[in-house]
Amino acid sequence: MSLLQVRDLHTHFISRNLDNEIRVAKALNGVSFEVSRGEVLGLVGETGAGKSLTAYSVMDLLKPPAKVVGGTVEFDGRNLRDLEAEDMNKLRGSEIAMVVQNPRSSLDPLTRVGEQLIRVHTAHTDTSESAARARAIEKLGAVGIPAPEQRMRAWPHELSGGMAQRVLIAMALMNEPKLIIADEPTTGLDVTVQAQILDLLRELVVTHNVAAMVITHDLGIVAHYCNRMAVMFAGRIVETGDVETVFDNPSHPYTRTLIASTPERLKEGKQKVLGGGAPPNLYNLPPGCHYVERCRFADESCNKPLSLDQVGDGHFAMCTRLDAVREGWPS
Amino acid sequence: MTEPLLRADKLTKHFVTPRTGQTVRAVNGVSFEMFAGQTVGMVGESGSGKSTVGRMVVRLLKPTQGSVTFRGRDIAPLRDRAVRALRSDLQMVFQDPWSALNPRMRVKRIIQEPLLLHSKLSDSERSDRVEEIARSVRLNTDLLTRFPGELSGGQLQRVCIARAIATSPGLIVLDEPTSSLDLSVRAGILDLLQELREETGAAMLFISHDLGTVRLVSDHILVLYLGHIVESGPMAKVFDEPAHPYTQTLLSAHLPADPRTQLHRHLLEGEIPSPIDMPPGCPFSTRCPLVRDECRTALPPMVDIGDGAQRAACIRIREGSNQVPL
Ligand SMILES: Nc1ncnc2c1ncn2[C@@H]1O[C@H](COP(=O)(O)OP(=O)(O)OP(=O)(O)O)[C@@H](O)[C@H]1O
Ligand SMILES: Nc1ncnc2c1ncn2[C@@H]1O[C@H](COP(=O)(O)OP(=O)(O)O)[C@@H](O)[C@H]1O
Ligand code: SF4
Ligand code: SF4
Ligand SMILES: [Mg+2]
Ligand SMILES: [Mg+2]
Repeated sequence: MSLLQVRDLHTHFISRNLDNEIRVAKALNGVSFEVSRGEVLGLVGETGAGKSLTAYSVMDLLKPPAKVVGGTVEFDGRNLRDLEAEDMNKLRGSEIAMVVQNPRSSLDPLTRVGEQLIRVHTAHTDTSESAARARAIEKLGAVGIPAPEQRMRAWPHELSGGMAQRVLIAMALMNEPKLIIADEPTTGLDVTVQAQILDLLRELVVTHNVAAMVITHDLGIVAHYCNRMAVMFAGRIVETGDVETVFDNPSHPYTRTLIASTPERLKEGKQKVLGGGAPPNLYNLPPGCHYVERCRFADESCNKPLSLDQVGDGHFAMCTRLDAVREGWPS
Repeated sequence: MTEPLLRADKLTKHFVTPRTGQTVRAVNGVSFEMFAGQTVGMVGESGSGKSTVGRMVVRLLKPTQGSVTFRGRDIAPLRDRAVRALRSDLQMVFQDPWSALNPRMRVKRIIQEPLLLHSKLSDSERSDRVEEIARSVRLNTDLLTRFPGELSGGQLQRVCIARAIATSPGLIVLDEPTSSLDLSVRAGILDLLQELREETGAAMLFISHDLGTVRLVSDHILVLYLGHIVESGPMAKVFDEPAHPYTQTLLSAHLPADPRTQLHRHLLEGEIPSPIDMPPGCPFSTRCPLVRDECRTALPPMVDIGDGAQRAACIRIREGSNQVPL
């Protein structure tokens, strides 16, 4: 049984235009995926695809005009969409923890690091202040911060980007979460620091048996740190499977283009990649496949509703013309 | 031996912070050469001084010390007016195409501005030239009448490149030109740069922290650490047989986008020190796994490796003990 099961999630931005007519931007259009304990799922896709929005929808952290309008989010046997706000608050930061891209902005600049760690813990448990303090020091040590006792007194602005990201991970660990969602956890950090942070994350998944979802643009991170991957395009998962399976056998035309665009494949020089294109208009999405305007294999059949179909062992793709794509793709 | 198009000699830039009066030693005696038609990739962690070097090369920034000889003339001491005359020959493309363009100017105007300043074309000749440039960066000419806000990131970066090549410069500095772009868009831009290099014969200084991209486009590599070049050499040599311990560990931390490549890593601890508190001696000594006492006494000189095309600054190279165990 997966720890987190997301089924057919729909999130819309609902607003009014100048003429007071209702406008709906359909940002998530039936997102389904699951994550189990002990595994890392990589969520990839171009900017605006809906990766962060998926995370915020799962965590119930959307701000108006964004709203989840359909689907289920099952976590550890509960449907999170049925939970009262208060219960959801409890869950967040304890059972599910989130690590975001810009670590400094998610730390309170006016509160010392240690105090922030302690608060996360005491807010969710009945632990004493001193026990929480001991725990905070332990977690800072666990994420590789030297001299953790002294660092407890540091202000957020005194931390480098890498250090701030470690503090955020330490904070995520304060309440022994079952699931960690990391949205671009190393974007903007140097490769040497990136490696330290990702190693830390993987170690947690393995030794603490947590489930992790990593949102990233970087297929190198997916290739070396994730077990499974899900490729997102215009608010849908268009392909998912084991990382090696998807890299060896990308099926959806978008996934194929993405993988062919990596420096490694470009270096092989096998084919010219046809660059991206504009994302579809979320206010007026095509009736069937969202990739239709950028796809060289599109025909009439692509305007029908699609489903994520099995193409191999644990490998699914959302495209009605997989055979034509397989045959016609330049090799 | 052909003369280099550009020779940077002991290029140095120190900033003094206004509030505290501390000295930021951003670039400390950087020397390299660039030849016509060559793409030089410059890599290094953030804060290593890449952008500062790039800006000095095109004289958007005046060096504190050192010289930049471009087409046989030292441009480092030039005054602003003389620099402006050089602009058509020395161009720069920035990381963030959103903020690099004037949002109130149509694309056509943006591309033709450098032509207005630096050439004496008639209106209709200029118009033709703009369309020609737009086509060469594979920008649909329909987009010429649009404003930047109406274009995607990839299209905007094409506009920036179009503006940079409009006056057929001899040298273009590209500072992280693809870092803010999505993978498939990035591939299109890299492809374009490759084509332009063949068409225009311009030399390019390609700055990036993305090792995969640098490897793809560069003939020659410069590795920067704390404002020093610690290694330089032909692309394949530096990537396949990195000599400096920093280059070795940097390359080992890179994640190729292929799950089947085996990683052999030596992970560095800690982070790049601040250029305000430069360590004495070798700039890498605070993190180097091979450090020994004498590394901290003097700045290691660049030494030749093999035939001298590749060079690195580490005292262990001569005795052959410079390999970091991976
Ligand atoms: N207020 C809004 N009204 C309409 N659409 C919106 C609004 N805010 C965000 N969106 C859209 O929602 C979509 C999903 O955004 P999201 O932040 O999840 O993208 P992402 O995949 O995380 O992208 P990135 O890689 O850039 O972080 C985007 O297309 C965005 O333009
Ligand atoms: N105008 C400036 N004033 C003070 N310090 C600066 C200025 N510009 C750059 N620096 C500092 O110089 C160092 C090198 O910066 P930069 O060249 O931007 O590095 P990179 O491009 O490699 O990330 C950094 O420590 C940076 O903070
Ligand atoms: S072939 Fe049709 S269904 Fe498949 S990706 Fe292209 S447009 Fe979509
Ligand atoms: S000189 Fe010393 S500290 Fe510097 S790279 Fe070589 S071994 Fe390391
Ligand atoms: Mg996002
Ligand atoms: Mg820079």
